[in-house]
Amino acid sequence: MSRRLLVHDLGHREYGEVLELQRDLCRRRVAGALATDVLLLVEHQPVITLGRGTRATSLPLPPAELERRGVSVFEVERGGDVTYHGPGQIVGYPILDLREHRQDLHWYLRTLEDGLIQALDALHVEAGRIPGQTGVWTAGRKIASIGVHAKQWVTFHGFALNITTDLSYFDLIVPCGIEQVVMTSVAEELLRSDGEVLWAEAKREVVKGVVQAFGFANSADQDPLW
Amino acid sequence: MSTKVVMEALSPTMEEGRLVEWKKSEGEAVAVGDVLAEVETDKAVMELVARAGGTLLKQVVPAGATVPVSELVALIGEPGEPTENGGAPAQEQATQPAPDRNRPVSMPPAPPEDAANEAPGPVQMPGPGVESAAPAPASASPGGRIKASPLARRIAAERGVELASISGSGPEGRVVARDVEGAATAGPAAAPPPAPRAPARAPISRAEGPFTDVPLSQIRKTIAKRLTQSIGPIPTFYLTTEIDMERAWDAREALKALGEGPKISFNDIILKAVAAALRQHPACNAWWQDDHIRYWNEIHVSMAVAIEEGLITPVIRHTDVKTLREISTESKDLAARARDRRLKPEEYTGGTFSVSNLGMLDIDEFTAVINPPEAGILAVGRIVERPVAHEGQIALRRRMRLTMSCDHRVIDGATGAEFLKTFKAMLENPLVMVW
Repeated sequence: MSRRLLVHDLGHREYGEVLELQRDLCRRRVAGALATDVLLLVEHQPVITLGRGTRATSLPLPPAELERRGVSVFEVERGGDVTYHGPGQIVGYPILDLREHRQDLHWYLRTLEDGLIQALDALHVEAGRIPGQTGVWTAGRKIASIGVHAKQWVTFHGFALNITTDLSYFDLIVPCGIEQVVMTSVAEELLRSDGEVLWAEAKREVVKGVVQAFGFANSADQDPLW
Repeated sequence: MSTKVVMEALSPTMEEGRLVEWKKSEGEAVAVGDVLAEVETDKAVMELVARAGGTLLKQVVPAGATVPVSELVALIGEPGEPTENGGAPAQEQATQPAPDRNRPVSMPPAPPEDAANEAPGPVQMPGPGVESAAPAPASASPGGRIKASPLARRIAAERGVELASISGSGPEGRVVARDVEGAATAGPAAAPPPAPRAPARAPISRAEGPFTDVPLSQIRKTIAKRLTQSIGPIPTFYLTTEIDMERAWDAREALKALGEGPKISFNDIILKAVAAALRQHPACNAWWQDDHIRYWNEIHVSMAVAIEEGLITPVIRHTDVKTLREISTESKDLAARARDRRLKPEEYTGGTFSVSNLGMLDIDEFTAVINPPEAGILAVGRIVERPVAHEGQIALRRRMRLTMSCDHRVIDGATGAEFLKTFKAMLENPLVMVW
C-alpha cells in the first residue's frame, strides 16, 4: 500500500469546533471530495461526551452541575458510553475510508487498539486489550478509550489516550459505564513528571503507531510529526 | 411489494447489533441513501442506509433492541401497502421462525425488561407454536407491548418503575423518558405494586449518621493498587515523632493531687488526646472497605491490651465525648475484663482507630501493626528524661516517642502528619484539648 495518512495536529481546540470539522471531513470523504485518509490530533478543554451506548447511570451529575465546574457536555453519534476529554490527553480522530482498508468495524476498532498498544510499547508502557472491553488497558487499568462512528464506511470520532491527564475528572463520570474501572495515564504508569517532553514523544509514537497499524506509507523524512 | 431492511453485518465477526436510534419514522418518505437508523456494534456506530426508496412502512424492532445480523428491522414500500394484516411481507415475517443463527441465549431480540412490562396475562400464547394463532396484528405480535421510547424503557428498568403504571405523554400515549422520570420522582404512589429495587448508585456523603461512605476516586484507586503491590495487603507507612511530656506530666500530678476519682494514667490522657485530634482530622478516623472508604463521624478508639494468649483491642466508644475520668474508669474496667477474658464481642470490635502502648514495658519506640479495617494505629513508647535543647539550653526533659502506622490507601503522609501535629500540640499543652 502506498497511501499516506494526512496528519493534522490541531493543538488546543474546542470540542464543538472539531466535531463540526470531523463531520465535514467525513462528508467530503464520503462524497469523494477528500481523496486521502486524515488523522486529526487535538487536545481539548475539559469536556464530557455521551456516546450512543450511554446508560443513565453513567453520568451521576446533572449536566448543569458539570457546566458549573467548567466541563461542557456533548451528546454525540459515536459508539460507546460516556467519556472525558481534557488537557494532557491525546485525542485522535481518524477519518478513514474503510472501503479502502476493510469494511469491518470490529477490525477497525482492533486495529486502532493495535496502533495505540504499539505507541505505548514505544513509551515503555506494557498495554493490551481486555476482550469485550474496547479500549487499551494496562495491568487492569484503562489508559485509552475508543468510540467511533462510520458513515458509509468513512470513520470519524476515534480515540483518547491519557498522557498527563488529570485523572480526577474521571470521577465525575462512570467511565465507559464500567463501575469499577480505574483510569490511568502514561505519566501515572511511568511516574514521569517531565510532562512536556513526554507529550511530544507520545504524540510522535501515536502517529507512528496508527500509521503502522493501518499500513500507511508515511515515513519519518516526510512527516514532521515523526 | 415492499423491501426488507435487515440488520447489516458491519463486521464478519458481528453477530448482532443494537439498533440505537431510528432516524426515519413510520410513514416518512425515504430516498435511496437516506439514513434510516443508527446501529451499534462494540464501540462503533454505523448508519443504516436505505437501499430502496419509498415510505418507511414499518419499524419492525424498537430503538434500543439488539437484533441478530440479517434479521428484519424495517420495511420500505409504497404508502398504504399492507404490512400488518395479511400483507405478504408481514405474513412472511410471521411464519418465518426467524433465522435462529446461534443467537446467544442471553440476548433475545427484545430487551428482557420488556417481557416483564408487557401487558399482564392475556398475551400468554398456548405453547411454543406460533402457527396456532392466526396472523396476529403486528402491534400485538411483539407482545401487547406498551409503547415507550428506548430511553424511557431503560430508565424504567433502572428505577424499577412499571411501564404499565405510567400514562404516556408522547404520540399515541407513548411513554417517553420524562414520563418515567415524573413517575419515579412521584414516588410509590404512582407505581402501585411497590417493587423496590436498589437505587442505581449509593447515596454519597452526608455528614449525619454514624459514618459517611465515600466512593474511591481515581487517585485513591491507583494509590491503593500500587501501594498494595509494593508492600503487601495493607500498604503501611510510619510516622514517628517525639513529644515533650513535661506539661502533661504536671497536669497528671495536679489531677493526682486532687485525690478524688480514678487514678489517671498517661495512657488515659493519650486516649483522650487521640480522640480529640481525630475529631479535628476525620481523614484518619476511617475504615478501608475495598471499594470505598468509610469515614466515621463517631470516634471509637481501640486500645491494645496484652493478655495471656496474645492481645485484644477493647474499644472505648464515643471516646471524644467522654471525660478523662470516664475514659480512665472505662479503660481500667475493659483492660481488667480483657485479661479475665470476659469481654463481649461488641466490646472489642468496631473501633475506628487504635492505640498500642508499650511504655510500661520500657520500650522507647516501636511500630504497631494496623488492625484492619482501621487505617491507623499509634504505637506509644515510654516517657523518659532525655537531654534536649530547650529554650537555648540543654535540659533534661520528659520525652515520649510515638509512631503512627498508616494505611496508605486511606491516609497519606501529610494527612497523618497533620493529625500527629495536632496530637502533639495537645500533649505538649494539655489545655489545647479543651480549647
